[in-house]
Amino acid sequence: MSRNLVFSEVRKSFGRTVALDHFSVEVGEGELVTLLGPSGCGKSTALRVAAGFEVADGGDVRVGDESVLRKSASERNMGIVFQNYSLFPHLTVRENLEFGMRVRRIDSQVRRARVGELLDLVRLTGLEQRFPHQLSGGQQQRVALARALAVEPRVLLLDEPLSALDATVRLEVREEIRRIQRDSGIATLFVTHDQEEALAISDRVCVMSQGRVEQVGSPQAVYRYPNNPFVARFVGRVNDMAVTVVSTGVAVLQGGAAKFAVPPIGITSGEARLLLRPEDVRLTSPHRGATALGIVDSVHFGGATTSVDVELKEGGHMVRVTDATREMTCAVGEEVGVVFDTERALLTREA
Amino acid sequence: MRARNAVWWLVLLVATVFYAVPMLAMARFAFQRIPVIKLSWGNVFDKWTAAPLVDSLRNPDFHRAGLLSLGLAVATAALTVLLLVPTMTFAHLRSPRMRRFIELSSVLPFVVPAIALVIGFAAAFRDTAPIFVRSSFGMVPLLVITALPFTHRTIENGLSSLDLRTLADASRSLGAGWNRTIWTVIAPNIRGSIATASFLALTVVLGEFTIASLLLKNTLPLYLAYAQGQNPQGAFAVGLSLTALSAVFIALANRFGGTRPGSRQQR
Repeated sequence: MSRNLVFSEVRKSFGRTVALDHFSVEVGEGELVTLLGPSGCGKSTALRVAAGFEVADGGDVRVGDESVLRKSASERNMGIVFQNYSLFPHLTVRENLEFGMRVRRIDSQVRRARVGELLDLVRLTGLEQRFPHQLSGGQQQRVALARALAVEPRVLLLDEPLSALDATVRLEVREEIRRIQRDSGIATLFVTHDQEEALAISDRVCVMSQGRVEQVGSPQAVYRYPNNPFVARFVGRVNDMAVTVVSTGVAVLQGGAAKFAVPPIGITSGEARLLLRPEDVRLTSPHRGATALGIVDSVHFGGATTSVDVELKEGGHMVRVTDATREMTCAVGEEVGVVFDTERALLTREA
Repeated sequence: MRARNAVWWLVLLVATVFYAVPMLAMARFAFQRIPVIKLSWGNVFDKWTAAPLVDSLRNPDFHRAGLLSLGLAVATAALTVLLLVPTMTFAHLRSPRMRRFIELSSVLPFVVPAIALVIGFAAAFRDTAPIFVRSSFGMVPLLVITALPFTHRTIENGLSSLDLRTLADASRSLGAGWNRTIWTVIAPNIRGSIATASFLALTVVLGEFTIASLLLKNTLPLYLAYAQGQNPQGAFAVGLSLTALSAVFIALANRFGGTRPGSRQQR
């Protein structure tokens, strides 16, 4: 039996607020799909509809060939890890892990063996007698993951499981989740507002805004080839500049004169905005083939990469340049040239 | 600072005297084998006896009344918990408006006098469901209402201290139905509040007079009122013992109420 999770045309409103607007996405068997979007975009609602905690106004949610919308949350057999610590405070780690199996009247010996396996899986063997308040945040979320897997769910739903953790633990648990998900081959829906997390963990990312799907694709595709300005602005950082298109494929910065190439699609004349990733801008010495000239405003050393903010002389645009391949040795206040590599840039009329 | 401390101690002293002197008077009247007119500071320590209490406790009428009151108290506490925990959990999870409504109705017993409640109750059920009027345990719903201002607040505090939605969602996602979720996940985590609410319900029922009197049920307070005429010393002895018992209940309630969920190991 196929164990994919399919949302088709799901609608959900809270009063006048539309949370899901004909929302469709598929999580294939063994795949990890992330719902990424700003708060209030409907990503958690989608998860809650799938889990059975919210009732959809229309559309369908299927696991394999079976529609689950008519089933109650307790009948859907989905493993869920929540944002807030959700372990039952009055039960030990062992009792928490056994909870779902007890509900299913699984024999105590089988339960015991399964608890052992699960603790091995999340690398917490030896902690079965602890109470949740005796565990760190990261340990609690790992137990929560194990508890979700204990019932051998058909799909796994993760509702911002890392957002309550601090940075280093977050990274550790994130990798743990990915490893376990790969090993178990279970279809997983991961909800987050953190784009870095989404890009790092997913097979595919579904970017959402206002209850709609803006783009679904591999992390590389979503980052490199955003469908629209929203995706470009939300996923990763982008330089957002006002330009005037003078003819097909040629534009100038507003307030400037130097012409440069832009993607020759869509907009052929008039005012537009150019969205360009920081790594698609290069620094050069002034006057040597530069698209524009500017003054270095600030330099941000980020370890593997260095970013430089340059205030352009033309139009006063602030442009961020990020470079990982070589060191950028410029000083604040220095005059530099910038070159736009607009092959993957996005040109749009939307402000 | 010192002046404020002095005021604090003075208030405490006055309050203590205000409560302790009548208690002491009651104790002397009940437990000293000395005629009332001869009681004085000179014989505070003389001729103490437990006989009036023992005699009263041996009285079969007292047994009947005591057992009835105890039964009513336990039934009231049980019904309170059975009704309030699921209802208030649902109100918390599903409807903030319902939560406000429950909150408001829970203080109605302070506003609507017990006598009005009983008259309405008797008039409504005398013909439609006479069992509520005839049976002694028919008054349990009324007692639940009377105890509501105390019990509701206690359980409300317990529920508010939990991340109820996450716990309920987690439990249901693991396959548990609502019943199991409420009684094996939520209730154990507010067991302190449930214990406190139960003890408060017990205390309220053991002291409730109006409803029992109007419905002609022979509960302990009614027996005590009646026995005061027959055997005042015995009635006071029992009354004082009940007061002490209530104090024990409240102390127990505090003891349980102070226990954090999940701290089983440290105890």
